Amino acid sequence: MLHCTRRLALTGALVCALAISFLHPAAAAEAVLRVSAIPDEAPTELQRKFAPLGQYLEKELGMKVSFVPVSDYAAVVEALASDKLDLAWLGGFTFVQANIRSKGTAIPLVQREQDARFTSKFITADPTIKTLADTRGKVFAFGSPSSTSGHLMPRYFLMAAGIDPDVDFKKVAFSGAHDATVAFVAAGRADAGVLNASVWEKLVEEKKVDAKVRVFATTPPYFDYNWTVRGNLDPALIKKIAAAFLKLDAANPEHAEILALQRASKFIPTSKENYLGIEQAAKAAGLLK
Amino acid sequence: MMRRRDPAAPARAAGVLLALLALWPMAVLGEFRPWLLFEAQNLRVIGAFLGGFLPPASGHEFLGYLVQATLETLAIASAGIALAFVVAVPLAIATTQALSISRLGPGPGRRRGDLLRAGLRVLLVVLRGIPELVWALLFVRVFGLGPAAGVLALALTYGGMLAKVYAEILESGEQRPARALLEAGSSRLHALCYGLLPGCAQELTSYTVYRWECALRASVVMGFVGAGGLGQLLDQSMKMLNGGEAASILLTFLMLVLAADGCSSFLRRQLADAGSRQRALAVGPLALAGLVLLVGAVVASFVALDLGLGALLTRAAATSLGDFLVLFFPLDLSPGCLQKVAWGSLETLAISVLGSLLAAVGGALLALPASGRHGPALAQLTRLLLNTLRSVPELVWATLMALAAGLGPFAGILALALHTSGVLGRLFAEALQNAPPTPRDALVEAGAPAAAAFLYGTLPAVTPQLVAYALYRWEINIRMAAILGFVGAGGLGQLLYVELSLFHYAQASTLIAAMLLLSVIVDAASAWLRRRLG
Repeated sequence: MLHCTRRLALTGALVCALAISFLHPAAAAEAVLRVSAIPDEAPTELQRKFAPLGQYLEKELGMKVSFVPVSDYAAVVEALASDKLDLAWLGGFTFVQANIRSKGTAIPLVQREQDARFTSKFITADPTIKTLADTRGKVFAFGSPSSTSGHLMPRYFLMAAGIDPDVDFKKVAFSGAHDATVAFVAAGRADAGVLNASVWEKLVEEKKVDAKVRVFATTPPYFDYNWTVRGNLDPALIKKIAAAFLKLDAANPEHAEILALQRASKFIPTSKENYLGIEQAAKAAGLLK
Repeated sequence: MMRRRDPAAPARAAGVLLALLALWPMAVLGEFRPWLLFEAQNLRVIGAFLGGFLPPASGHEFLGYLVQATLETLAIASAGIALAFVVAVPLAIATTQALSISRLGPGPGRRRGDLLRAGLRVLLVVLRGIPELVWALLFVRVFGLGPAAGVLALALTYGGMLAKVYAEILESGEQRPARALLEAGSSRLHALCYGLLPGCAQELTSYTVYRWECALRASVVMGFVGAGGLGQLLDQSMKMLNGGEAASILLTFLMLVLAADGCSSFLRRQLADAGSRQRALAVGPLALAGLVLLVGAVVASFVALDLGLGALLTRAAATSLGDFLVLFFPLDLSPGCLQKVAWGSLETLAISVLGSLLAAVGGALLALPASGRHGPALAQLTRLLLNTLRSVPELVWATLMALAAGLGPFAGILALALHTSGVLGRLFAEALQNAPPTPRDALVEAGAPAAAAFLYGTLPAVTPQLVAYALYRWEINIRMAAILGFVGAGGLGQLLYVELSLFHYAQASTLIAAMLLLSVIVDAASAWLRRRLG
């Protein structure tokens, strides 16, 4: 009797386990737009920033919009290229990577006005560092290795100024995110660092920057962030998404909140050609093979 | 005057000197500069960060995140172990020699059987040798974001570990019943169920429970690469230097680990009691209730995580996985890449050796009071300290140490030393307690001072065991040292993180191969040393 019960229980358990793993299909209903963003700031911060935009998109597109938080840049690229995401907020370099990984099918839709003329700020808390040349032999912090404004473009401009980060810095550190770079430099963990101008201005406005941290150089402008969709998304839906972004108007108080959180004055259309410069910079800096 | 001198002093001093000389290049490579920790500016930074720990964050929204992350961590560990079990059982049955029919006697299939087993054993080495963090990082890429990557990573690494240990447990038990059954013509499955399991079930279950506890710690760590749970939350808070949040998360995590520790040792004690009473597992109503509860918990974990594993079994998933794997071959063996990898390997080796050595010294020093030599109050206090040290995973220590000691290998050394001191301290203390007291008592009665009595009465008896424990930890630490770089603590991990971020998969696979090779070499070196010293 006992023997039978035991066998029954074991069989039951096995069947349950198997059923769970098989009957749980990828019921990712078509009616959900899966959105993510490269984690260039704290993911909780990104979620907070996205909430009103998500609601707006839900209303405009007439479908559910879900935000997938991530902590790895490359994971967003890989997910977009393997159709696990529909729409993603990418940096210039991550867009180039996504374009290559998706065999040229990813479509950049829109970008903020300032993304067409983006810059990076070199910061330090060390009074002896006054120019880029002074950073030789110092500990230097980039953001994430995949970041455009926190790694690629600063590296490219450093190399143009005759400084090879792999040779001339005492140590290269990757803080992982722009606000983390400021924290690294403020704490003296790195002698100097570089981050995206937009995040820097936000941190200064919010008075989150230690008084001794200052900007000592700025890069020339380049194309950065955009909203990209995967290429095999329904073309009608792609049009609707682009239209929804372009319709955002700062004069409309409802839209103003969304734009303020995205730190955008308005969104403008963008195209692949804008990112050829980034691709060349990535090749020149040895980050793209 | 000679009476008080340590007669072996010159030899010991020479040995220590020689060891220090051999360690010198490692210390240079590992940037071992402890004095930096005490520089005024550094102390200010650490002080400010630790000051930020108080009060721990307790905001409404944050606590919500914390509870959710804790549940997710628990679910990842449980679901991961359940899948690992599914992976391990067939592999263990296939690799164990206890169920080999061809080994019964001379027969045609012997060579084929041996070959098959050898092949599967290599597979197990690969599964175990690649750290779960690396698996997680790869799975995050293929299967998308979130806990599924963590669960699958656990399933593979722990599947490999469980399979190896299951096979060994089956081989170490009483072989004759299974052999008799096989010789009488029964099938392997019957021989397993009726010949081997009755004798080994208790040990097998006990080991599985212990591994669940380890999986809980590991699932925290995997959050650092985006596989969900408490680790992800901690990674974010540490990056933003938010001390209050970090403190809350660390406290939650400590409580979780201590609870799991307690729960697991209680279960294992129960099993041991049941085993000693009846020789076979007692399956009464209580055990059945436990089984139902267990199955319920596992099912709940799968449902809560919403893994969508069914999607993995589709043709599209298989091709995308195939496409992804192809990118890793061929390995990049260009001189430039190899040079980088060699440098990273040396740094990793230095981190593991120095970290383990420091831990052995620290563990030994803490083991003295923990073994009760200086009174029960002090023993309790040191035990608490040891528990705390080992409850915090190496990777979490590394993020803390990267802040204290700067980015680079030194942070990795400190992280390994802190965690491993906790582990070794406890093991050493147990060894000291179990050492036969008679030689020491004899020396004390003959008038030897306490220190000499310890050195000549207790230490010789336990030294081989202590050394063996330290060497075992070294094998674990080399794997750890390889991944500490993910949080900026130098070595191969840092290189791998950068290469994977840049989609340089050929270089990444060279690095992973180097990690595997390094762990195999250290395993062999440690086994050789243990044989020599044992």
